[in-house]
Amino acid sequence: MWVKHNKKLLGKILLLLVILLVGGLATSGCIRGLRPIGWSGGLVADGTLFLGSVEGRLVAVSVADGAHQWSEPLLASGSTGGFGCVAASAGVAIYGTPAVAGDLVYISGYNGKIYAFDSSSLQKRWVYPPEGNLQPIVSGPVVALGKVYFGGSDGKVYALNADTGVEAWEPFQTGDKIWSTPVIDDGTVYISSFDKKVYALNATTGKKKWETAETGGAIAFTPLVYNNTVYFGSFDRYLYAVDATDGSLKWKSEVEAGSWFWAKPVIYNNTVYAPCLDGKVYVLDAESGHELIDAIDLGSPISSSPVLVDGSIIIASGEGRVYSLDTANNQVKPLADVEERIDAPLCVSNGVVYVHTEAQTLHALNAQTGVRLWDISLISE
Amino acid sequence: MGAVWDTIIFQPMLNSLIVLCSVLFSNFGLTIIALTIIIRGLMYPLTIRQLRSTKAMQSLQPRLAELRKKYAKDKQKLAKEQMQMYKESGISPLGCLVPMLIQMPIWIALYQSIMLVLAVTPEGLLNLSNYLYSWPVVHSMLPLDSQFLWLNLALRDGLLILPILVGATMWVQQKMVTPAVADPKQKSMSGMMLWMMPLLFTFLSLQFPSGLALYWVSSNVISIVIQYFVAGWGGLVKSTAGRPTGRDKGYKKRIAQIEGGPSEYADVGADIVEPSSTQGEGLDYEESGDERQDRGGGSPTRPRGIRRQSRRSKGHRPKRR
Repeated sequence: MWVKHNKKLLGKILLLLVILLVGGLATSGCIRGLRPIGWSGGLVADGTLFLGSVEGRLVAVSVADGAHQWSEPLLASGSTGGFGCVAASAGVAIYGTPAVAGDLVYISGYNGKIYAFDSSSLQKRWVYPPEGNLQPIVSGPVVALGKVYFGGSDGKVYALNADTGVEAWEPFQTGDKIWSTPVIDDGTVYISSFDKKVYALNATTGKKKWETAETGGAIAFTPLVYNNTVYFGSFDRYLYAVDATDGSLKWKSEVEAGSWFWAKPVIYNNTVYAPCLDGKVYVLDAESGHELIDAIDLGSPISSSPVLVDGSIIIASGEGRVYSLDTANNQVKPLADVEERIDAPLCVSNGVVYVHTEAQTLHALNAQTGVRLWDISLISE
Repeated sequence: MGAVWDTIIFQPMLNSLIVLCSVLFSNFGLTIIALTIIIRGLMYPLTIRQLRSTKAMQSLQPRLAELRKKYAKDKQKLAKEQMQMYKESGISPLGCLVPMLIQMPIWIALYQSIMLVLAVTPEGLLNLSNYLYSWPVVHSMLPLDSQFLWLNLALRDGLLILPILVGATMWVQQKMVTPAVADPKQKSMSGMMLWMMPLLFTFLSLQFPSGLALYWVSSNVISIVIQYFVAGWGGLVKSTAGRPTGRDKGYKKRIAQIEGGPSEYADVGADIVEPSSTQGEGLDYEESGDERQDRGGGSPTRPRGIRRQSRRSKGHRPKRR
């Protein structure tokens, strides 16, 4: 009898172990970050804010009252899906902020495609590549000189004819994947790569002008070009400034940050305000790289790119708190707490800050007072 | 609880994984294999204890069967005698499960580390940054290269080779530790367990990134090797019963010499059968787990009272009084 009971007990324990193991695997399989979700920022053009939703749709929102319409959802590549939250998501993740030129809105998808939509009807005008998919695109598109520029996870920099979606030049290959959005300045494309370098390409031909020396870590950071200098942060936790003409190093920040520089910094009055994933904002002299004041600690990682509004820098921390940093005295004041995770870059237009949260909500806040003007859900159904 | 888990188990493992990768030519596939070997090495005492407990439990089965037969009508006495037997043998019925329970958090942490460190999505990389130590090497290594042989370790194996390997190695491992039983109910249960886990993990391997499947294959292969050296091929040699390998023959010869038994026992190459009336039950035998390899998976029997000793079994045999 004891043996029988014992066997039952052993059987139950074995079953419990299996359940624990499978449950543990499945649960930990759903740890944050295994499923692409997306964090598209917004762009305002002619009174309409365009952004990509977590559902994988282009959304057009009237900034006046929050009225909005959706495009058809982007189509998954078919390679996603799976148990354990590995790859599947409800829609195609969109990380890049849309770009607008003329009557077209451009948006890139994690499904490895880039789309051009009619800005009024949100009807698809063209898609690249027309057949098949590139590797996932995290980079946002940028439109200049009649071309759409973006980087791919295949490490290539692409330039397409903005009207037709046809390749304008042979994609330029870097040494590793590209997640940053290119910057176009004075006929040059500046883009960073996970191969630890920043590249400058001729925007018309795609030929390389220069590349920086390797930094100590990968670069997911979208460069900032200002006053003939390119600023960028690396996973080695330093900020760099290189000469925009030849890529030579101007300075490397003195202080090693506590984590990576992920968000694009703001430059104002010859001062660099660089938010970091260690929860601090580093304030450096743009010419020398010297720290002007002790880093301002906001308490939680900052992955959302800040915006400049009337001499104040609006910064959102990952926890959902929005702050205003007065550049005159470097004092920070809380502006709002949306209580939802914020990774998407902030967007500003006419004194209103638009915050896209992971909870698929778009908040419109007064940049001066933080008062919520309206909130809308970006869930279509 | 989450913070304690992260600080004590998860973060050390995650950062060790990245540092190890920097040593192993930035090859994450090699890193997974190496870390699996290291962790299994550190847990070797637990593994051995678990295997010995399992073996000891198996070796008591004949005596348990005897007791069941003897006290078939007195359940209370049966339970008492069984408890006494476990106590005398120094075996805890749960002894084989405790080490497994201790190892489970390590497995889960290793699994989580592999999943997170691949950081295939932007959210994953962002999340990973929360768990990194301030060591420069950790930051300079990221993101890790997920290519290994034909695999992208962050994605499922489209060729299905790894899931099949996971299932096959797990089946072999399970088969090695599954005791041969005659009781149809037990047989059915052990048969179900033999197939359930391999099938389950094959299914999981089809769904999860191949980096995890690589870990499972590595872990299974290490288990097979350890089990082989501790307990031989176990239930695997059933199919070759009557056709023992050279290794088995030599082993039997040594046993026969030590036991001084009939010389024909040395060369039979099959089970040493006790002409016992209890054979019909197929359970009335006495052996240690070490000897299971000799019987080719068939009903392991030998005259009771004869104590076998071999070089390999020394130190592994549970104490008996």
